[in-house]
Amino acid sequence: MTKPSRRPDAVPREDTAAVRAREALSRKWSYLLSSVVVVALSRDELDAELGAQLDALCAALHSEPFDPAPFEEVGERLVALGYVNEPGLKRTVDVLGKGLLTLEEFSSSDQHTVRVVGGIGALTCGFTAARARAILDQQESMQRSLLKAAHDAQRDQRHSEAKFEGIASSSTNGILIVGLDGRLAWGNESISVIIGRQPEPGTRLVELIAPNSIVVFREMMERVLSERGEFEREPMQLVRGDGEFAKVTLTASLLRDDDGKASHVLVMADDDTELALLQGELRRQSLHDVLTGLPNRQFFTTHLETVLRRADPEFGVTIFHLDLDAFGLVCNSLGARVGEHLLQHVARRLRAVMSNENAMVARFDGDEFGIVVENTALTPDVATTMATINADLGEPTYVDDHGLAVSVSAGVVHRPSPDVDPVELLRTADLALRQAKRDRRGQWELFHTNEDAAGRRDAALAVVMPGAWEQGDIGVVYRPVHDLATGGLAGVEALLHWDLSDRCAALADESGLILPMGEWLIRIAAGQAQWWRQRGELDQQFGVRLTHHQSTDADLVSRVSKVLEETGMPGARLTLSMPVGVLGVADAADNLGTLADMGVRIAIDDFGLGPRDLAWLSALQVVSVLVPKDLVHRQDPRSATLIPAVHDLGVNLCVDGIETAEQEAWWREAGADLAIGAHYGSPLDAGEFLRKLG
Amino acid sequence: MAEPQSWVPLGIDTNVPSMARVYDYILGGAHNFAADRQVGSQIEKLVPGLPSVARLNRRFLGRAVNFLMDQGIRQFLDIGSGIPTVANVHEVAQERDPAARVVYVDKDPVAVAHSQLMLSDNKNAAIVQADMRDPEVVLSSPEVKRLLRLDEPVGLLMLLMMHWVPDEDSPDKLVAHYRDALPAGSFLVMTHVAEDQIDDTVGQAAEVVNRSRSADQMHMRNHAQVSALFDGFSLVEPGLVGCGEWRPDGPGDFADEASMNMFLYAGVGRKD
Repeated sequence: MTKPSRRPDAVPREDTAAVRAREALSRKWSYLLSSVVVVALSRDELDAELGAQLDALCAALHSEPFDPAPFEEVGERLVALGYVNEPGLKRTVDVLGKGLLTLEEFSSSDQHTVRVVGGIGALTCGFTAARARAILDQQESMQRSLLKAAHDAQRDQRHSEAKFEGIASSSTNGILIVGLDGRLAWGNESISVIIGRQPEPGTRLVELIAPNSIVVFREMMERVLSERGEFEREPMQLVRGDGEFAKVTLTASLLRDDDGKASHVLVMADDDTELALLQGELRRQSLHDVLTGLPNRQFFTTHLETVLRRADPEFGVTIFHLDLDAFGLVCNSLGARVGEHLLQHVARRLRAVMSNENAMVARFDGDEFGIVVENTALTPDVATTMATINADLGEPTYVDDHGLAVSVSAGVVHRPSPDVDPVELLRTADLALRQAKRDRRGQWELFHTNEDAAGRRDAALAVVMPGAWEQGDIGVVYRPVHDLATGGLAGVEALLHWDLSDRCAALADESGLILPMGEWLIRIAAGQAQWWRQRGELDQQFGVRLTHHQSTDADLVSRVSKVLEETGMPGARLTLSMPVGVLGVADAADNLGTLADMGVRIAIDDFGLGPRDLAWLSALQVVSVLVPKDLVHRQDPRSATLIPAVHDLGVNLCVDGIETAEQEAWWREAGADLAIGAHYGSPLDAGEFLRKLG
Repeated sequence: MAEPQSWVPLGIDTNVPSMARVYDYILGGAHNFAADRQVGSQIEKLVPGLPSVARLNRRFLGRAVNFLMDQGIRQFLDIGSGIPTVANVHEVAQERDPAARVVYVDKDPVAVAHSQLMLSDNKNAAIVQADMRDPEVVLSSPEVKRLLRLDEPVGLLMLLMMHWVPDEDSPDKLVAHYRDALPAGSFLVMTHVAEDQIDDTVGQAAEVVNRSRSADQMHMRNHAQVSALFDGFSLVEPGLVGCGEWRPDGPGDFADEASMNMFLYAGVGRKD
């Protein structure tokens, strides 16, 4: 129920500047509204009406505590003005969303921002509900009109009898003519569609009525026969042939014979399904994004408020704010239409990935999406969820003949307090997203890690890592790079090893320790390579993977050239790889170019086999690409079709994570050149590695 | 007992689109059925600006009725009135003078029934179910006799009406018949699809209507042909112009897109 507006504590009655500012805003609102609505008010009247509504909204924003009810009422009043549809709502939301906050009286406090957002949400809800009611009213009035038209014509036009059959039988409304004894005289085709069977003449109408509607039905018929009103109308359920119930609205009216004596009852049944669909569609339109069909930010925010309250306190909820990487690049190079299709694809995939969870996926604006998960004991941790999302989206999809693989970056808020304001929460997630995107792609950033077990473990490991390195617990191990054509050794990859975590490089990357540790890795590997070469034991290409931080490190070139100088290793014997996600960062691209000029061979890691990834190959001096494990395991024929394109650019292709002979055979067949993985043995320290080779 | 065939009459088949209800749909109303919405959305796809055109026509109606009120007119005959929705003639006129009298005319039985239900409490407004091509039926109807004094000037409104009348039915003679029944000082208010101002897509939209099961067929006319319908009336300033250009009063009276302002010809003429 509507509450009376509270008296504002800061009415700017005497403050003429504030009054003028409000007037300017309400006139702007009126101006924008007038070109999309049909109302019975003159321009001045509309100005005055909206001015009064704006005052009510401002009073609500000043009230303590804040009560959004007046916003909801304004939404309802807009509908009552006349034909004010979705465009009218959209303009209202636009003009008030921006305009209220620019009013001097609300610019002093951040709290008002939150109130305005909440208020606009309430306005939208009020509007939508009132609009749905208006539609129902209008539809009902049309049904009455239809019945009246039938009734009147029956009275006036007895000569048109011959045309009856064809017309009545083609009506979408079920039409029944019932004798005063309650038995059916005639029913049209549509009634058989609604109830799934053709009722026989002579059937008692009451037999078609569902048990829970019988009382309503009897009362309605009594009113009809007692001639209290022209029509009687009641929603009720009919029994379908299959035993199910059909929701209809029955309208009944008494028919008279030539002498004006009651002779029959005309009953019309409108199938409420269509009306329900129409209502559903309206609700959907105002709460969903048209392009993807996902809930919009408004819906998401409202939903967030609900789930925060009802979430299991043990597990809480997790909010992901996702942003597609390089979406602008896709649009600029392939066009907006491809971009739109890509967004639709991403929407579908996100929904599929989250389908096992109690989660809502929403589209915010542009290429941003939101997910809120109500966690359970079985919900995967944030890292796993993000990896699953990026692995799924990393699978190339064909959009208008362009094979696209995308990655997303994310800001994540894990288990926020149930008391936090949803709008504030979204701002936090957004902040974390900006953090994650600062210079990297395909990344995610957790806002609060302290509640999360895996995060806690990682954080603990990161703390002890420098000590472990110093004590020699972190070492360098080697594994073969396999030549798929000859079955021989094509090179050696050197990597970090720590017994406590298989995410050693990733943890070091997150803590920043990777810069010295990564340089150390290259130095050890280069020294080992030189040692083996000088002793004539092994002369091979040595590869080291750089992390995101290393790739963008301003000192990378000087670190590498220092190592080469100290160890005497020829640059051409060293292969350094950079993750594809980092190539968009200027520093990384510069580093890559300079290293290539020094003669170091460059590879690209995490290569997605999409055209966007392919584009880097012609732009940069790259000799090799590494296809990541998840893509390798998927063995998608569409990935294979892109391999010739890689070869055409003079680049060879290495597949990571080969675990079985079957995988090896598949990728050999597909045209891959090199392979790394458990199938060729686990990484070993220098001595063991050499022994095993021998 | 009568045969069941007598119970349901002509013209209430909701599978057949009605132009009155299609107009309501385009205007943003829900006084319509699925078949109406289907035709409406089909032609809206061809002419995305159509909701503006419907709205501008409605706004013009308001300005024209107000203009006639300024000229002292207190009785109106609105032919082809359709579904009586928001900002209709009686609302505008009776807002200024509750004694203003309005007779609506439409042939669509559902629109008529709806109007009767809506006007049941309004003793100064009524609707006649008739085809405007039978002027005598209209002019001699009980409603006209009860509410209009034909020896005093009348506002005769034909909005979005005459393009449903084919040349075979002599639209000029029909308008003249009504004109001759009204005294000097009466006004004719008309909007009509402007054939020489619109592009091919509108022709396609008209095709959609003409191919639908509706009995109504659209006949577009150019400036000269519409002007000819005002025979015997002197057009008031600014003459026969685009609907958005007829004495616009504020931002809602014209569309952002110029072509939508010209989609309909609008004019007000005074009987000499």
